Amino acid sequence: MDKVSEKVRELFVKSFHLEPDEVTDEADLQRDLEMDSTEVVELVVALEQEFEIKITDGEITNRQKFGDVVQTIRSKLVS
Amino acid sequence: MKKIAITGMGIIAPPGTDKVGFWQNLVSGKSFISPITRFDAAAYPSQIAGQIAEVDTSYLSPRLLKKMDRFSVLALVATEKALQDAGVDLSQEDPYATGIFLGNALGGWLYAETELRDLYVEGRAGVSPYMASAWFPAAPQGQVSIHYGIKGHSKTVISDKASALMAIGHAANIVGKRKLKFALAGGTEAPVTPYALLCCSTEGSLSRGPYRPFDKERDGFVVGEGAAVIVLEDAELARQRGATIHGLITGFATSCDGAHRIMPDPEGKGLIKAISAALARADYKTDEIDYISADGIATQVGDISEAKAIKNVFGPRGRKIPVSAPKSTFGHLLGAAGAVDLVITVLAMQQGSIPPTTNYQTPDAECDLDYVVNGCREHEIKKALIISRGRGGVNTVLTVERSQ
Repeated sequence: MDKVSEKVRELFVKSFHLEPDEVTDEADLQRDLEMDSTEVVELVVALEQEFEIKITDGEITNRQKFGDVVQTIRSKLVS
Repeated sequence: MKKIAITGMGIIAPPGTDKVGFWQNLVSGKSFISPITRFDAAAYPSQIAGQIAEVDTSYLSPRLLKKMDRFSVLALVATEKALQDAGVDLSQEDPYATGIFLGNALGGWLYAETELRDLYVEGRAGVSPYMASAWFPAAPQGQVSIHYGIKGHSKTVISDKASALMAIGHAANIVGKRKLKFALAGGTEAPVTPYALLCCSTEGSLSRGPYRPFDKERDGFVVGEGAAVIVLEDAELARQRGATIHGLITGFATSCDGAHRIMPDPEGKGLIKAISAALARADYKTDEIDYISADGIATQVGDISEAKAIKNVFGPRGRKIPVSAPKSTFGHLLGAAGAVDLVITVLAMQQGSIPPTTNYQTPDAECDLDYVVNGCREHEIKKALIISRGRGGVNTVLTVERSQ
């Protein structure tokens, strides 16, 4: 597991009171982690602060999987 | 009106967080109004309130709790207690056969105030995304319906301090038409916050203390926080399932004064109409009522107009019916007050004892009813009338009778 993935997972666990083993790469934010759109807003703000990046509207949604979110962050960090 | 059974009662208020403890404390003679400790109230004319020391939310997830204002939390807690009291497991019931009817007067101001401060200080990014769904008046209805999977006819009622009693009246009407098997009904309020208290202060009706309805020296009410929810069922169906029936709702009416933006009609004309209509719907004669739970707002015109209306409807007997406003012990729960008054009235019927209006010292010649003051009065109650009034001239009246 890389550091980005680990940090994002920690953030999910802390922000939404999830168990670490629930937050797999294949976990669907809405279906598996029961995240609604307002929780996605909280997530985006937390990610922006944690990684000092800018996430635009619609880049992260609750129709994505955890692995998709990690990939989005990773791509922003290398660019 | 068809008689509707009260089969469950849940309460969380300054005197207690279950109905047994609530009653014991209410009749103990102690006051549950104290200096405000949640924030610095030094600049406010009224610096006292009825506050709940501790709310047990251990069965609710932290993920949910951070999305709710206190008024939704109190509604959830009271609902759970009511359902337990009724012995109803909603997971085993048709979700479309249960509804939730909740009143409140202010909305979720603790959440709103802190987030609005962040909005102005930090800008848009500083505001919690949960603000939008936490503060608004229908939030408690939403949270309760989500928590229990309720999908039937439901309603949030905003009629200032008459909200809860009006919500219960509407719920009873819907159950009477057999549109629902169960209606959860009541009110919730969390007004001990800087802005909410400021709004109550500028209305000009808040007391510097003590809260003393009907007393000649009265200077307004004191706010309190809490929630009360009852479970309503068709009486016949409730008996069939073997439910304990605590009391029966038999009449309900409401009217509007159309007189002043805050104060009631000084002659109580609208209230006269509401009391008369509620008695007619219950098919009661005026000599059948043996207790009146008063609004007791403790403003000059509020208490006098209420006394005038009672005397107008009940004639000479109006001075002989015991009247009380026990909310003087723990504060006015605003949009939850009517539900609390109903729970107290039902408990008073069961106990054969009327809790008093406290802090009463100086009689007022214009408030000349048989007020129960400063100590409980043993009294058999078979049929009672509850009055709840709101700013702008809202009058709501409910009749309730003891279950045989």
